[in-house]
Amino acid sequence: MKFTIKVWRQKNRTDAGRMAEYAVDGITPDMSFLEMMDQLNEQLIKAGEEPVAFDHDCREGICGSCNMMINGQAHGPERGATTCQVHMRSFRDGDRLVVEPWRAAAFPVIRDLVVDRSAFDRVIQSGGFVGVNTGGTPDGNAVPIPKVDQDRAMDAAQCIGCGACVAACPNASAMLFLSAKVGHLGALPQGQPERKARVKTMVAAHDREGFGHCTNIGECEAACPKEISTEFIMQLNRDYITSALSAVVRG
Amino acid sequence: MSQAINPKGARKYVAGTRAADWAGDYLGSTLGNKVLVAVTGLSLAAFVIGHLAGNLKMFSGRESINAYAYFLKHDLGVLIWVARAGLLGAFATHVALTIRLKLKTRAARPIGYATQKSAQASVQSKFMLSTGLVILAFTIFHLAHYTFCVIHPVEVNGVLVDYSQLTHKGKHDVYSMVVYGFSTPWISAIYVATQVILFLHLTHGLTSSLHTLGLLGRRFTPVARLAAYGFAGLVLAGNLTIVFAVWGGWLTLPSDVTAL
Repeated sequence: MKFTIKVWRQKNRTDAGRMAEYAVDGITPDMSFLEMMDQLNEQLIKAGEEPVAFDHDCREGICGSCNMMINGQAHGPERGATTCQVHMRSFRDGDRLVVEPWRAAAFPVIRDLVVDRSAFDRVIQSGGFVGVNTGGTPDGNAVPIPKVDQDRAMDAAQCIGCGACVAACPNASAMLFLSAKVGHLGALPQGQPERKARVKTMVAAHDREGFGHCTNIGECEAACPKEISTEFIMQLNRDYITSALSAVVRG
Repeated sequence: MSQAINPKGARKYVAGTRAADWAGDYLGSTLGNKVLVAVTGLSLAAFVIGHLAGNLKMFSGRESINAYAYFLKHDLGVLIWVARAGLLGAFATHVALTIRLKLKTRAARPIGYATQKSAQASVQSKFMLSTGLVILAFTIFHLAHYTFCVIHPVEVNGVLVDYSQLTHKGKHDVYSMVVYGFSTPWISAIYVATQVILFLHLTHGLTSSLHTLGLLGRRFTPVARLAAYGFAGLVLAGNLTIVFAVWGGWLTLPSDVTAL
C-alpha cells in the first residue's frame, strides 16, 4: 500500500510549525498506524532528515501515549481504538492522510506530534484521589460494594488520560476526562468523604488549565478509545450541583 | 466603664465562607455558567410555549385575543413588571453567559486543525451561538414590531397610523395588528425564517439543558431528544399556523378596523 502523509512538523515549543508532505510505500494492511509512522521515519533518517517525533509506549491500547489526529479524527477512524490499534487496512491504498497533534491551549506542542499533557496531571493532583487508612492490608470485601457500582466505577476508571476527548471537542473541553476521574471515585464508598469537595476543586482546576466548556454534543464519547459514556458528564453535573447546594447550607 | 467594649473583638470569618465566594467558585466556573445558561434556557422555553398558547387565541376570535392582551397589560398590576423583569433577566443572563463561555472556549484552541471531522454531533448543536444571536435580533425586531409598534405604519381609512392606534371596542386591536403584520410579505418572511431557526435552537438546547442539569441518563436521553423535537415542532407548527392562516385567508382583516 502507498500513502501520502501530510504531517505537522514543529521543531520545538516556540517554533511556528508547518504541514509537510511525505510519500510512503511498501505498507502492508496489517501494519498498525504507528508501524507505518516508523517506516516513514526510517525513510526520513535514510534521507538524512529529522524523523517525525510522536509519543508511544505500550502499543496495545492501554497507556494513552500515542496521540494523533488522523484525517480530522482523534485516534483515526476506528471506534474504541487508540492510534496504535488502528491498522492500515482501515484506509484505502493511495489515500492522503493528514496527521496532526492534539490542538488545545492546555496541550502545547513540544515537538511535531508530541504534546505536553501535564495539564491532566495537575487536574488529578487537585482532587483525583481518596484518603485511606495506612497500616495492614484491609480484608477483601470488608466494605461491601454493589456489583452495579463496581461496574460503573470500572467503566469510568478505564480512562487512560490520552486526551482524545479534548482533541475531538470543538471547544477543547476536558469534561469527559474530568467526569471519568470524578465518576470512578464517586461511584465507590471509598470516594465518598471527599466527594463534594473533589468535584469543586477538580472543576476549578479544569478551568484553570484553560480547557473549554461542554456543549453536550458527544464528540468526545465517539473519540474515546475506552468508549467512556457522556453519562459520566451528567453524573459530574449532578455532583457539582449537589456540592453547590450543600455548600449553601454547610458554609 | 465609660464605654461598652467587646473584649473578644469582631467575629473572625474563615476565608472562602462568604456568599460572594460561593457565587464566584460555583457559578463562575464553566460548569456553573452552563447550569445558569441551562436554567435560563429552560425558563425561556417555558415562556415560548406560554407565548404560543396566547398567540393561538387568534383562532378563538378578535374579541378573545384583544381581551387577553388587555388582561396581560392592564389587569396584572405589578405582576406584569415582575414577569417582564424576570424575562429580561433570564434573557440577558442566557446571552451574556453564552458569549462569556464562547470567548473562553475560543481561547482554549488558539491553533485549529487543518481537517476536523465530526463523528456524531448534530448540525444545530454547532451553531447554537449563531442561531441564538438570530433569535436575539428577532426578539428585538418582534418587540419593535408588535410591542412598540414602530416598524410598520398602516393605512386605515386613508390615514397612516401605527399599530398601537388600532382600537376595537375601547381595547387595543391586537387581532387586526397581527393580520396587518402577516399580510406583508417581508415581515412574514422574517417570522417564518426565525421560527425555523428557533426550532433548531430548541432541539439541541432542550436536551442539552437537561443534560447540563444532570436530569437525564442512559434510559431517558433518547426519550428527551424525541421530546425536544416534539416540543420544538409544536412551537414551530403553532406559530407558523397563524402566519399561514393569514396568508390562506382564514384570518382576515375585519371590515370595521378603526384607529384612534
